Amino acid sequence: MFPIGERPTRRRLLQSTACGFGYLALAGLLSRSQKASAAPSTNPLAPKPPHFPARAKRVIFLFMQGGPSHVDTFDPKPRLARDNGNAFSFPNDRTRKVESFKLLQSPWSFRQHGQSGIWVSDLFPHVARHADDLCVIRSTVTEGVAHGPSTLFLHTGAMNLVRPSVGAWVTYGLGTENQNLPGFVTISPSAANGGPRNYANAFLPTTYQGTAIGRAGVPMTQAGIRHITNSRMTADEQRHELDYLRELNRAQMRQGGADDELEATIDSFELAYRMQTHVPELMDIAHESRATLDLYGIGDKDTDDFGRQCLLARRLAEADVRYIQINYADNTANPRWDQHSNLKLHAVHAHAVDKPIAGLLTDLKARGLLDDTLVWWGGEFGRTPFAQGSDGRDHNINGFSIWLAGGGVRSGLAYGATDEFGYYAVENKVHMHDLHATILHLMGLDHEKLTHRYAGRDFRLTDVSGNVVRDILRSR
Amino acid sequence: MNRFGRSLIAVLVGAVSIRPAASADLEAGRGFWAFQPPRPAASPAVRDTGWPKSDIDRFILARLEQEGRHPTRDADRRTLIRRIYFDLVGLPPPVAAIDAFVQDDSADAVARWIDRLLDSPQFGARWGRHWLDVVRYADSSGGGRSLLFPDAWRYRDYVIDSFNRDTPYPQFIRAQIAGDLLPFDNPDQRARQLIATGFLMLGAHNYELQDKELLRMDVADEQIEAVGRALLGMTLGCARCHDHKFDPIPTADYYALAGILRSTKSLTPGNVSGFEQHELPMSDERRIELDNQRRAVAEAEAGINAARAELKKLQARWIATGAGQLVGVVVDDTQAKIVGSWTRSTFNPGYVGEGYIHDGASGKGEKSVTFPVTLASAGVYEVRFSYTHGSNRSPSVPVTVRHADDEDTVQVDERQAPPIDHRFVALGRWRFPAGTSDAVVISNEGTTGHVIVDAVQFVAVELLDKPAGDAAQTIAPGTAGPRTAASGGAPPQGDDAASAPRIAELQRDVKELEGRLRKLKENAPEPPPRAMGVRDEQEPGDFHVCIRGDVHNLGPEVPRGFLCVAGAAGAPPPVIASGESGRRELAEWLVSPDNPLPARVMVNRIWHHLMGAGLVRTVDNFGSTGEAPSHPELLDWLALRFIAQGWSVKAVIRDIMLSRTYQLASEPDGAVLASARGTRPALDGGSGATHPEPGDVAPAAADPENRLLARMNRKRLDAEELRDAMLSVSGQLDVTPGGPAIRSETTSEYGYIFDSNRRSVYLPVFRNNLPDIFEVFDFADPNRVTGRRDVSTLPTQALYLMNSPFVFEQARHAAEAILENDTADADRVELAYRGAIGRPPEARERELALRYIEAFRPGKNTEPARRRLEAWTRFYQVLFASVDFRYLH
Repeated sequence: MFPIGERPTRRRLLQSTACGFGYLALAGLLSRSQKASAAPSTNPLAPKPPHFPARAKRVIFLFMQGGPSHVDTFDPKPRLARDNGNAFSFPNDRTRKVESFKLLQSPWSFRQHGQSGIWVSDLFPHVARHADDLCVIRSTVTEGVAHGPSTLFLHTGAMNLVRPSVGAWVTYGLGTENQNLPGFVTISPSAANGGPRNYANAFLPTTYQGTAIGRAGVPMTQAGIRHITNSRMTADEQRHELDYLRELNRAQMRQGGADDELEATIDSFELAYRMQTHVPELMDIAHESRATLDLYGIGDKDTDDFGRQCLLARRLAEADVRYIQINYADNTANPRWDQHSNLKLHAVHAHAVDKPIAGLLTDLKARGLLDDTLVWWGGEFGRTPFAQGSDGRDHNINGFSIWLAGGGVRSGLAYGATDEFGYYAVENKVHMHDLHATILHLMGLDHEKLTHRYAGRDFRLTDVSGNVVRDILRSR
Repeated sequence: MNRFGRSLIAVLVGAVSIRPAASADLEAGRGFWAFQPPRPAASPAVRDTGWPKSDIDRFILARLEQEGRHPTRDADRRTLIRRIYFDLVGLPPPVAAIDAFVQDDSADAVARWIDRLLDSPQFGARWGRHWLDVVRYADSSGGGRSLLFPDAWRYRDYVIDSFNRDTPYPQFIRAQIAGDLLPFDNPDQRARQLIATGFLMLGAHNYELQDKELLRMDVADEQIEAVGRALLGMTLGCARCHDHKFDPIPTADYYALAGILRSTKSLTPGNVSGFEQHELPMSDERRIELDNQRRAVAEAEAGINAARAELKKLQARWIATGAGQLVGVVVDDTQAKIVGSWTRSTFNPGYVGEGYIHDGASGKGEKSVTFPVTLASAGVYEVRFSYTHGSNRSPSVPVTVRHADDEDTVQVDERQAPPIDHRFVALGRWRFPAGTSDAVVISNEGTTGHVIVDAVQFVAVELLDKPAGDAAQTIAPGTAGPRTAASGGAPPQGDDAASAPRIAELQRDVKELEGRLRKLKENAPEPPPRAMGVRDEQEPGDFHVCIRGDVHNLGPEVPRGFLCVAGAAGAPPPVIASGESGRRELAEWLVSPDNPLPARVMVNRIWHHLMGAGLVRTVDNFGSTGEAPSHPELLDWLALRFIAQGWSVKAVIRDIMLSRTYQLASEPDGAVLASARGTRPALDGGSGATHPEPGDVAPAAADPENRLLARMNRKRLDAEELRDAMLSVSGQLDVTPGGPAIRSETTSEYGYIFDSNRRSVYLPVFRNNLPDIFEVFDFADPNRVTGRRDVSTLPTQALYLMNSPFVFEQARHAAEAILENDTADADRVELAYRGAIGRPPEARERELALRYIEAFRPGKNTEPARRRLEAWTRFYQVLFASVDFRYLH
């Protein structure tokens, strides 16, 4: 609360008037302030200098909900074919006992691609053509076993305790370049397995929460930001109404002189009105060429929806949104890639995302955006090399694959390895905390310095762990 | 254990190297202001003796006078009554109330109006909600697989009711910590005390966490953190892994508390764990009704069990003698390969072999059953599948048959009785090779309802295509392992066919009894009322220090106890009754007059809500990382007065509201400004996590944050006030008190439609799905203790006010009502202003309104009546968005 007629400190003011959508030009305010140049450093979403020179300016995270199988995608295991159906002992993460399981060979063949010779299965023919752009980490480990805890761990670094998500930390650390758009956007997020907690700010200021565009289960053609449109009146009518509101609010401001909090409240309507124009423009892909739409598989029934998500991600990246998450997700307890039985369904999911993802990589590259955009592909865990039932695989947190591209990572690299079965990461293990630390590092942030004090102590994304995986950084 | 013992633990712990950098020293810690007992202080002398109305005013004025300042003018009557209404009941004052108050010039007018509102049931709806913020109240668990809390509302109602009754604070807290262990005089009191323990259960948790030991520790941790922040203003969670770095709270203290909470049962076992519940006491009448029901159910179940037992014996003999053998090859579920968790059952008779299995309608896509079948000779077989039918079954169970040529999946509707002898359905005929293969696979992927799997049967077609009669007759109740039919011949006839009629009779009995049971269950009296709540563990006891917070790495055991720093030095450790958790003792310590924290924390919360900021602004953190009080003597005075007045919350509220300080205008007057230019007041202390940092732009005036309270703080309506105010103005507000929050039949929070017009406190608070208006307007994060909400200014709020259907609908209702007044538009504007913002419009406002309504031109061909309604709807929408509607001056 600020007294009318008295000036709050700028910091206090900006803390309390922080705009989730970044637009905090507060033009009127600044024009009255002789120190306009000081403003960007105190706007909570203004770009902030990184701790050290960044390699990536933004992140696009392609979240594969449910846990795609690494031994069927990026981590070939000939042993599974050789010993298909034979029983071996593995520790069961759920029961914490050693049990006997039968190996299950992959129904798909693997081939080496590109000059780097990275192995990719036939599930991803389009992505395979980008093999030389990828940095496949085949030794990822995480925590949680079940979808809820692991999904939260992936997004927040904690299975159960309430913590801010990666995107919130990144915008907290770096602000965002485009003040007309949110700094952290998640496209078609799932309501399940933690739902909004996966893109929430937790104890960070509200400013840093993710903004959802659409939601899982709703086609992209109908996706939008809540309350962004008004079907009851034309733009002119609404403009007229807002003019009335502005004059009324001015009249209601007391004679006490300038009042920054009320000014910000009044301005928020103008910002919101501008957003109403900006966001639909951004969502409108009518002006994209046929070739571009084809590149993403838009128009083809199987790939249309995910293609639209990927294309929107590129448009958001172009508009300098800081952290963009795309969700291949649904709202069930056994989501998308979760093939406990009928592993064949992996082909359906791979088909839906393969061409759009390859299209995104191609497009980013063509526009010169891949160099400073970090693309991250992965799920909350991988799957077991042994069978569940006759034709499914269970969750595996002990070793699985994710890949990164662009944004300062070495390309054409397969990093780390699992054992001969693909159950345990055995070489160059990358824990989820390490991955988080590395992503922050690529963004120019030291994961040990990016802290926020809450409830009497300093919190970090990586808690008390995390090592930057320096081996995968491209040399400058 | 004594102090020395505790430090010994610390040393031992140090020996296993879990010690971090030096922790705050205990004795030095006792010197910190928050751990000092509140000190009685005489109200200070002031120069302007005519100004103060109360002791509170003298504390405030003395401080202002030190700075050479003076309070601003008093608030005008209309502003004051609006403030009093929102602050006490969270609703705008009715026009008649404003008029009556404005005209009431008696000396005790303010006191009478305050008392009237303190007695209103709406008081609890407002102040109960403040408490619900503090205890992270929610109607679902949040976490990965968010569970509904269908009975949480009882705790919410208990809180609202407690504020309405003005339950003394110690009694209120005791019940929430240890209500299940407290004596009671009557069933109602018992029920209230059991419900109160819901406080400990309300944390946000991921009940599907597979490491159950970790989950149990996380639950205790969350409870410690909630107790610490809510009741003591202390952050204790830090001490889970190491001694608190800033406050004198050693790890040993943390695990002393953890011992108490781990001796308390909060979870029930399961893959997805559950939460503890209490069955609440009932009237004798209801108790008898329920007992009768339970007895009848038990009888029916016993009858069924007896019949089943005999049936089983007969069937076993039947098998042994070879009677009733099924033709062909039969594989029972006991021989199948099972994936996922299936439940064995014999509930419905008519099954093959030793019962059947079902998936419990859960874990869809995770479970399957594979039948290995051994055929002596290759050939064409009819494949049959056995299940017990029922209305709760899946209408479409995928049964995949892998045969010599390919595989085919047949969907079986398990709601329908199996056509062959009420046991089997024929899936089709295929060619099979001789030998063993995993020929039939049933999955629960994509199914709804229960999936039942009993047995499969392979019958060579030549057997079936024999003249009718033979095969059918031989399929009698019984069972068989994998058997090969005599090749080409008729199935063997049983010798002991005589028991067949008895078997049939028993099966009829079972069916009849099951029918009776079903009816009993259908006509069951309402289930006993339940509440979420904790109880003591079977074997309570001390717990260990977890090294670096790792529950799988235990260090030395620590006797159960409380925070050393908040007790007198050398005080003996608590004596915990044997066989109890120690929660009773904890509750007593939490509200002991010797504990320096609870009274201060609570009066500061009350001050925060009434004045817009606490004397300690970090209301949940009185530790060294929090802020120091702006008026320490006043805080102590309030705390002691709170205790002296029997810990009455209403008395403290009344004291504060009757002060002249509370009744000041929120605008500074010229005199204040004139004298205020210059330095910032020197406020002592606090490490200032929220203090402005050096290098900030210097304030234009002294005390920009109004810490000295020369005027009232302006307060923005919070989410509930805003919503309730709009509903109030539109005439749609439903003030029905209490009762369940979630619509019955709700199974998940996702997609829940919040369409109720009840007061906001009665909307469900789903952790992963809040009502839009809550989310947008800074509602308390239900995942954590929130004594002070954020007040953010975001474009999403503007978007909500501009575009949400809710605001539009309330504006429309308000417009319809105002148009019913047969009067001039200018009078309507007058009425609308008085109703919505509690005052007549200023000239400029009237002019703007009339001009807007006059000039309003929606689409061309709109008829005049409709156009007027549109115009007035927009008028109200603008009024709802205006600053004087959204802020309390």
